[in-house]
Amino acid sequence: MTTVASAQVAQRSAVSDYRNEISPILEDRCYECHGDGNDKGRVAFDELSSDEDILNRDLWLKVLKNTRAGLMPAEHKPRPTPEEQQKLEHWIKYEVFAIDPRNPDPGRVTVRRLNRVEYRNTVRDLLGVDFDTQIEFPPDDAGYGFDNIGDALSVSPMLMEKYVAAAQAIIAEAVPTVEKKIGERSVPGAEFTGKGSGTDASRKDGRLRLSYYEPAAVEKSITLDGPGTYLVVLDLDVNGSFEFDPGRCRLTVKLDGKPILDQEFGYYSDKTFSLESTHRLAAAGHRMSFDLQPLTPVAQKKNRVDLVIAKVLIQGPLERGKWVEQPNYRRFFPRPVPFGGAKRRAYARELLGAFAARAYRRPLDDDTAQRLAALAESTYHQRGQTFETGVAHAMAAVLASPRFLFRLESPAGAASPLARTALIDEYSLASRLSYFLWSTMPDQELSDLAARGELRSSLAAQVKRMLADPRSEQLARNFSGQWLQTRDVKGIANDALAILARDDGEEKELHAVFDAVRNQGDFSKAPQLRNKFGRPRMQLDDDTRAAMQRETEMFFSSIIHEDRPVTELIDGNYTFLNDKLAKLYGIPDVTGADMRRVTLPPGSVRGGVLTQASALVVTSNPDRTSPVKRGLFVLDNILGTPTPPPPPNVPALEASEKDFKDHEPTLRESLQMHRDKPLCQSCHSRMDPIGLAFENFNAMGMWRDQERKQPIIAQGTLVTGETFNSVNELKHILATQHRLDFYRTLTDKLLTYALGRGTEYYDTETIDRIVQRLQENDGRFSALLMGVIESAPFEKMRTSATATAAN
Amino acid sequence: MMNRNFAAERRLSLDRRQFMRGLGACIALPALESAHAAGAAITVPTRMAFLYVPNGTIPSAWWPAGDGGSDFALPPTLEPLAGVRHRLQVISGLQDLSADPGLDGPGDHARAGGTFLTGVRVKKTAGSDLRAGISIDQVVAGQIGHLTRFASLELTCDAETKSGNCDSGYACAYVYNLSWRTPTQPLSAEANPRLVFERLFGAGPRGERVANLKRRQKEQQSILDYVLTDARSLERTLDGRDRQKMDQYLTSIREIEARIENSERMPVANPGMETPGAVPARYDEHIALMFDLLLLAFQTDTTRVATVLIAREGSNRNFTEIGISEGHHNLTHHRNQPEMIDKVKQIDRWYVQRLARFLQNMESIKEIDGRSLLHHSMILYGSGIGDGNRHTHQNLPILVAGSGGGAFRSGRYVTTNAEPVTNLFLTMADAMGTKGIAQHGDSTGRSGVMS
Repeated sequence: MTTVASAQVAQRSAVSDYRNEISPILEDRCYECHGDGNDKGRVAFDELSSDEDILNRDLWLKVLKNTRAGLMPAEHKPRPTPEEQQKLEHWIKYEVFAIDPRNPDPGRVTVRRLNRVEYRNTVRDLLGVDFDTQIEFPPDDAGYGFDNIGDALSVSPMLMEKYVAAAQAIIAEAVPTVEKKIGERSVPGAEFTGKGSGTDASRKDGRLRLSYYEPAAVEKSITLDGPGTYLVVLDLDVNGSFEFDPGRCRLTVKLDGKPILDQEFGYYSDKTFSLESTHRLAAAGHRMSFDLQPLTPVAQKKNRVDLVIAKVLIQGPLERGKWVEQPNYRRFFPRPVPFGGAKRRAYARELLGAFAARAYRRPLDDDTAQRLAALAESTYHQRGQTFETGVAHAMAAVLASPRFLFRLESPAGAASPLARTALIDEYSLASRLSYFLWSTMPDQELSDLAARGELRSSLAAQVKRMLADPRSEQLARNFSGQWLQTRDVKGIANDALAILARDDGEEKELHAVFDAVRNQGDFSKAPQLRNKFGRPRMQLDDDTRAAMQRETEMFFSSIIHEDRPVTELIDGNYTFLNDKLAKLYGIPDVTGADMRRVTLPPGSVRGGVLTQASALVVTSNPDRTSPVKRGLFVLDNILGTPTPPPPPNVPALEASEKDFKDHEPTLRESLQMHRDKPLCQSCHSRMDPIGLAFENFNAMGMWRDQERKQPIIAQGTLVTGETFNSVNELKHILATQHRLDFYRTLTDKLLTYALGRGTEYYDTETIDRIVQRLQENDGRFSALLMGVIESAPFEKMRTSATATAAN
Repeated sequence: MMNRNFAAERRLSLDRRQFMRGLGACIALPALESAHAAGAAITVPTRMAFLYVPNGTIPSAWWPAGDGGSDFALPPTLEPLAGVRHRLQVISGLQDLSADPGLDGPGDHARAGGTFLTGVRVKKTAGSDLRAGISIDQVVAGQIGHLTRFASLELTCDAETKSGNCDSGYACAYVYNLSWRTPTQPLSAEANPRLVFERLFGAGPRGERVANLKRRQKEQQSILDYVLTDARSLERTLDGRDRQKMDQYLTSIREIEARIENSERMPVANPGMETPGAVPARYDEHIALMFDLLLLAFQTDTTRVATVLIAREGSNRNFTEIGISEGHHNLTHHRNQPEMIDKVKQIDRWYVQRLARFLQNMESIKEIDGRSLLHHSMILYGSGIGDGNRHTHQNLPILVAGSGGGAFRSGRYVTTNAEPVTNLFLTMADAMGTKGIAQHGDSTGRSGVMS
């Protein structure tokens, strides 16, 4: 039977199963809202008539999600029995979605460009150069909440220009273009010690600052590579106050007791001296000393003038035979450059072939190696160019190539023309693994295994090895940083004064100050007046923000590396803190700036990501909390049941406030008014109770007992019926009664991140299997991770035959 | 935080002052002097820029009173523009109905951003199948871009990107990118002043920039040849969206090649100033620097077409510099609360003050014909949202500064009756010397109001 014909048969049977098996269930359980003349949400099951309507995937994906999450049928309405629910799910998955459980559709991943993080890590591993892509490249567009989604990562002329320039700059830094160079060492001024060398304050950024008015004698011993002629360069700055100062001094510099400089210095506000001299020196130890004698009595001092020893640069031996090999030379050029055109060309081809294979993350074809060697030759044949310059130039071309910038994947072996899916080849698998777990290229071991065709058979062991590698921190950083939005912490607007004033019920006064400034029209006075109002007792400086971000990353990382149940992400009993963050949390006895693990006392409100400051801050407005955003955050990222976004023309909460007469309304009160409107009620009853449970945490993530001088009530009821009295009870409900929802949501997010595409209806089977695996393994992270890695979409691809048919 | 950053801010301010001093030196040199010296016929080119501000404006403070004409008083929000009033056209009644909800439901901010310069209804997607339309700046750049070293310039003052989705199921690409080269290829904008400058004029000390730029480009040629062959052979093996990505790569490479060719024909300007630094800590300084760079690019005729995203649509930035701790977006949903409306007006005005400084600098630069750079430009400033409170896309706050080299009568308040803003774009494109653009997005014809 042809595929088309069998599809038609399957469709007919799906429709008849709907009429015989499914429709009766819906009639009993759903028609109260979605039948018999009711069409809530514009869905009426008894109006589905054509086969096309009956088998509408979008509709049934919603039915699946809403019934699984217990959102439908609504509370207090009769629910399907477990058998009915199972029948419904089975029909949706295998008949409407037509998923073949033995061979699920792996979907189609659009070729992925390396994002900024991946590019930086890859270049570091390939060449040993740290190229700051955060500054040099524009931000990557994200899709489905992540910045590694193939479809969303585009290329523009500007980005391409940057890629070409970056390739040149990176290679210029990494690859030496001559074999040997004059040796060079630099001694920072701050390393000279002795009498009158001042306090720590006089040593900063490696420089030593000496006053013209204080005698000083400092020295340092210096060892050289070998006997020969050396060039000594003294880098000095004279740095004085803006206003003139009459100070003068004499500086005597001696090398092994012999003066190499003896000079008077006068006043400059800022002037640099670079003083050179040449000496024949032995290899043994040498001593260099600086002696500063004041020439002006302190009594005449008017302002300030200092002599700064920036550094001493010693170059040599200058004799050509004694030059030293460049540090990275052997890394790129393991053998001496041969003589003769043919031999050189063969060497270039060998070097570039090996480099390009690493960079492209798969074996190189002959033609490409040939072209690269020719490109190198066209450069080193030019007058005055070294062989190494030519090879480096071709390496830059490798970094600008689409084979480097994009992750290109191939099927393993020649697939049968009829097969719908194929395994990806082992080089593709190596890259999928390394970019998933490390956000970088495969290392030698992965590449070797792929070359031998042994990677797939040793997956579990390799994943274990990879997780033990420090590079696996990237998974915690990049996945949790986007899933939980901790990346946004450092840039989000947060106004400590306004937030604290609101907690204390003093925002009216604060705003009066601001209004006064505005009405005067002199905005430049605002900072001063803000300070007049008082420095806030706590604010989110850069260090605190960094600690917040680290806390969540380290916590997520501990779940990965200790293979803990993923539900601890919601209700774990430990966290990671330093002094600033502990102070913000009100947790005593944490000193010092280093982040360390802290076991939380029983009943602490801080366990789990939801009450970590990072999540609390990114879900707040600049001046107050947003229970709506917090509720939505939980629905989106924990329960996986996002509500439809708000209808247009919805006023902000502040706008409802004037209806309160006797006191400033709390957010709970404002939201209640909101929720009383029928239009808002259906969604807000899902979000608000969750968000309000977090009201004890202000917009900086600090605990508070009152808002606007009113006590905070955290109590609430979920739309699915569970009630709670505190945020900890809510967390407990989420981690137990809603565990499956959480498993499903986390799986969906991690799968999206691993695959670089959004999940689709046909992924339902894959996700269900991973959730099953989590259930069977106490929710341990390894079950999730291996579930993702061993899934069909991670290990397989559509064949080109299906690709054309399915698009 | 204010105190902590103080030293850094002061240092950056100093950097910027030094940069501006340099700009002054540059201003002294007429831009087209070299062309003049070569005895070429003098026609001063027309430039166009689109500057975007988010969340609409408070209409009552934006619109002048009266029915239009040259006799109008500047309303409070536009007061900072008094010095260049004679160069303005404030145009009411323009609309962007392609950003209306229609069947797509919520997401007015993302739609307004993605639709503004494209005039098409953008596809609602979280990322798998982005689709907007080609934006008007790119339509114009496609016709006249070969006349300058850079076909167009895309700048942004919104350096922080957000994780997650951007607005109600719309991918962030719609919010962060004003310019679209094709319906599926957004053009990311540059936020870092140093990188903009180095891209335009070369890196390194002032005396070496042009040489550095030329050397680098020379080295790039053989690299570009190599990767082009790579990409072509790959393209043959790819299909669907993979092929689309490789097309983007190929067209980008060709564009760089064209720029290198242009550099050989056209002089590379070497502005009399040091290279500016990274993104300043202060937002007003960042905006000012990006405007300085835009002015420089226009003045040196390095490009004639530009877009500047002053802030992304839906931006919730707070303005503590003027004592406003609430987020901009939150405030715009004011439901007629006077205090909130007042704060939004202050923010609207704050943005217009940045614009005023830029326009005054443009006005102070004289072209070879004795008229100002602003006279020879069309600087459109506005938002894809009319009233932020209600997310409307009618009566958009739009003004055009500059006379397009004499194509327009400026110094007017112009009223139109519910016309697509794309009609205005077409009229502007005509003034840029483009030919044969029958339609753009949802346009219904040329805007008659400008002439």
